[in-house]
Amino acid sequence: MTATITRPERGGALSRKKPHHSSKISGNRRWLHVVLVPLALLWMIPVIMVIGLSLLPSHNPSTTFFGMFPAAPTLLNYLLVWQQNPILLHLVNSLLITVPSVLLVITAGSMAAFALARLRVPLRAVFFGVLILGLVLPMSGIVVAVFKILQALSLYNSLLGLVLVYSALGLPFAVIIIRTAFLAIPHEVFEAAVIDGANVWQIFWRIYLPLAHPAISVVVIWQVMMSWNDFLLPLVSLGDNHLKPLTLVPLAYQGLFLSQPGALFAVLVLISIPVALVFLLIQRYLVKGLAGAIK
Amino acid sequence: MRATFIRNIPGLLFLLPALILFLAFVVYPIIYNVQASTLKWDGVNPGQFVGLSNYLDLFRDPIFLITLRNSGLWIALTIIPQAMIGFLLALALNRGIFASTAYRAIFFVPAILSPVVVGIVWQRIMDPFNGVLVGVGKATGLTWLSGNFLGDPNAAIFAVIAVNVWMWTGFSMLFYLAGLQLIDSSMLEAAKIDGANGFHTTVRIIFPLLKSTHLSLLLLGIIGSLKTFELVYVLTQGGPAHASDMLPTYAFQHAFQLQSAGYASTISVVLIVIAVVTSLSMVRVFGTGFITGDEK
Repeated sequence: MTATITRPERGGALSRKKPHHSSKISGNRRWLHVVLVPLALLWMIPVIMVIGLSLLPSHNPSTTFFGMFPAAPTLLNYLLVWQQNPILLHLVNSLLITVPSVLLVITAGSMAAFALARLRVPLRAVFFGVLILGLVLPMSGIVVAVFKILQALSLYNSLLGLVLVYSALGLPFAVIIIRTAFLAIPHEVFEAAVIDGANVWQIFWRIYLPLAHPAISVVVIWQVMMSWNDFLLPLVSLGDNHLKPLTLVPLAYQGLFLSQPGALFAVLVLISIPVALVFLLIQRYLVKGLAGAIK
Repeated sequence: MRATFIRNIPGLLFLLPALILFLAFVVYPIIYNVQASTLKWDGVNPGQFVGLSNYLDLFRDPIFLITLRNSGLWIALTIIPQAMIGFLLALALNRGIFASTAYRAIFFVPAILSPVVVGIVWQRIMDPFNGVLVGVGKATGLTWLSGNFLGDPNAAIFAVIAVNVWMWTGFSMLFYLAGLQLIDSSMLEAAKIDGANGFHTTVRIIFPLLKSTHLSLLLLGIIGSLKTFELVYVLTQGGPAHASDMLPTYAFQHAFQLQSAGYASTISVVLIVIAVVTSLSMVRVFGTGFITGDEK
């Protein structure tokens, strides 16, 4: 039976290409698909259901296959949500919240990570303490306070306020992950660059940041997930309907969707597509980036 | 003195943006919460100082005990299943089988969905009248599937936990895949030569070698459990009758529905203290390098 234990295909974390596996080895592994295929199908049921029900026509709400699929599928809902609500506006709002917060977290987070990994910083322990506080701080626990701060800064009812809050809450995770990646870069790199006449900013921007791209991809997906998917903060800090992000559309137009479940699910599909795209774009770096972080 | 200060300048400048954001949106809200927790306050009109009486009320509040119990259940029943399924999936997918990237994406996708999406679709799946589970139950004769899981005080918290496991197992899988990348293959080669079989290699060698992965997941799992808000809010709003309330949802109800912002702040302060104490003691006890990255 020892034939079934084979060494892992990827020799180490750094080997780039997958070694070929002999047909004998893959033959021994084929049984895994017998378990994985049904499990994957089961796991996908809610996702398939969201897509299926987005095709449910409002005039014929009958479904098949245990309520997961419409009896008479139609793409009309996508046209309908486009006409009924300013979906494009909400999509732009979501982008205006997510993109700047990702950029801000990457910039401020990697700068702080660089300082903690390679520069002299007084009171490091205090900074780490604040970092842990930020990591454990629940959003719902601070919404009242944040609400008051945003009002004081006249950032209530503004997208910029949301960007700043998401960035602050995303920073601890970003600093921890990127700092570990920076620590893995040999110190000689830093010294060599200093001898070559590079200043601290150039060393950070030109050498360290590009080398940490797997870790940064982890931070990107994490920050996109947090700022795109959240609905609590916009719910309490945005008054105007025209500022609301996509995630609030199902709540903001609840009454409208009662009679049109298909349109509701079409909106859910629209909410999910952008995050899924980001995930697909960077997923090949994710495992490597996480591997650097948990060493 | 002056020379030290000058040498510290680059480091401080690099920390500055993060520091400003932290001070405004992490440190200040905590101070604000602590101060507000001493007030009898509706959130709008000026509050009235009441000392520690909010805390005394909270420790006598039966719903506070429910939320603590639910947090305990949540920690145990999400972290362990997520880690077990995630670990097995990672083992299977790490072997370079056909379509492993596709499998990886499929199991991770629930984690990237908004709680709004997850909440609405699972409500429909568990709908007691025309949900998917009821339909399957009727077709197969498994009548227990026809229960009103989200509406039953004894089942609601478990139903929400099950959805959470579905959502976050892929995240654990990704962590274990990353951990498996770090295992030196020569170690496994040696075990094979010594005659260890697949089961033994997995249990005696791979599993212990993943210690830092287990600990990172445990720490993130505990923090995530204590912070849980969205999923509970969209699925049950903490109901029925607080049966599925967690500390954050209970705080939210007091702040925005019951107009008792002082009491809400008290709940938040207690929550922050529990979370900080737990994570710090974990860092102490296990020496996990996850936060500081210093220890191995």
